[in-house]
Amino acid sequence: MSSRAGQKQASRVVRDHIAREKRRSRTLWTSIAAIAVLVIAGLIGWGIVASQTSDTYTAPAGAVENGTGIKVGTGPVQIDIYEDFICPACGQFEQQTGATLDQLVAQGKATVVYHPLAFLDSKSSTDYSTRAAAASGAAAQDGKFREYAKALFAQQPAEGTAGLTDDQLIQIGRSVGLTDAFAQAVRDGKYKPWTAHVTDQASGDGITGTPTVRVGGKDVQPTTQAILAAVG
Amino acid sequence: MNVTVASPPVSPTSVSRWHTARPWLGTLVRLGLAAVWLVAGGAKVGDLAGSGRAVNAYDVMPYDLAKIIGAALPFIEIALGVLLLVGLATRLAAGISTALLTVFIAGITQAWSRGLQIDCGCFGSGGQLGAGQTPTYGPEILRDLGFLTLAGFLLIWPLTHISIDSWLEKK
Repeated sequence: MSSRAGQKQASRVVRDHIAREKRRSRTLWTSIAAIAVLVIAGLIGWGIVASQTSDTYTAPAGAVENGTGIKVGTGPVQIDIYEDFICPACGQFEQQTGATLDQLVAQGKATVVYHPLAFLDSKSSTDYSTRAAAASGAAAQDGKFREYAKALFAQQPAEGTAGLTDDQLIQIGRSVGLTDAFAQAVRDGKYKPWTAHVTDQASGDGITGTPTVRVGGKDVQPTTQAILAAVG
Repeated sequence: MNVTVASPPVSPTSVSRWHTARPWLGTLVRLGLAAVWLVAGGAKVGDLAGSGRAVNAYDVMPYDLAKIIGAALPFIEIALGVLLLVGLATRLAAGISTALLTVFIAGITQAWSRGLQIDCGCFGSGGQLGAGQTPTYGPEILRDLGFLTLAGFLLIWPLTHISIDSWLEKK
């Protein structure tokens, strides 16, 4: 090997080495930049949710102690009903089983706690679930939760629509005897934070769908038969 | 004596054609995977609480943790989509995509095997299915495996045309 060829080879080795070093540091820096972007993105999401979660809500009259539902009746057995006003299965459940629940309450056999929550805001273009649940809170404040809930289910909008407007929610309220205070509470969205609280607590209690029925704290099929059997 | 050299299994022209085409094919793959993440993240970012509930429905972690994961995930997906879109740190982005998709597939599989009735929530909504709805775990897993193939391609051949990576490479 001539010395010139040797020199050429040596300089190529050096060049390759430098190129490799450059590539390595470039990969390092782009990786650090990319990871920083991802971490910041994740923190943004976390931050938004942390700031959205507020502990300040006003529970309406008739709410249970921790504010997670509206208590109806004073019977010895507790029945928990988790429902979303736009959920079609909840509408059917109300139609088929609502009267039985009212009867159990009237007979003093059961206390029914209704948890009107908003799992399905994405199923309407106007967050109907939240607005309807908040309106039911306003109805509870004036002692007409059940009447109002039944009327809402009777006029349930379909999933994938805009849902009912606030004016329609108020009109339905008037049809069951609710007054101006109710209308004002609906317009102000007074019980929306409460709805968020009910929804969050239900998720924390392992509720992942609606309607969910629990009798004495245990999951029960949402049918008249199953509920009657569980109440005993 | 003349010895005929056995021709290589792949002819030189097709090899060079592959070398020319691969970075362009890679660009398509990269943009495709970017679109997947952007659409997936975009669909969830408007309802972070719902996203948290969708994670919670898999029933593998406490709700408080699911809330955080559910909130962070859409933003991470969008960021991953942007990295792939501009072609920055493609191999790393492909690696993280692979890891995420693997976790998703594992999550769906465990939900399936436990008989949970949930929507994967991959592209928004999610959570428990209503009465009369049947889960579609099989197609969901197949779809994720398809995305995994895209990520795998970029993991092996991260250098693609029209990317920041290739622009830096030339500098």
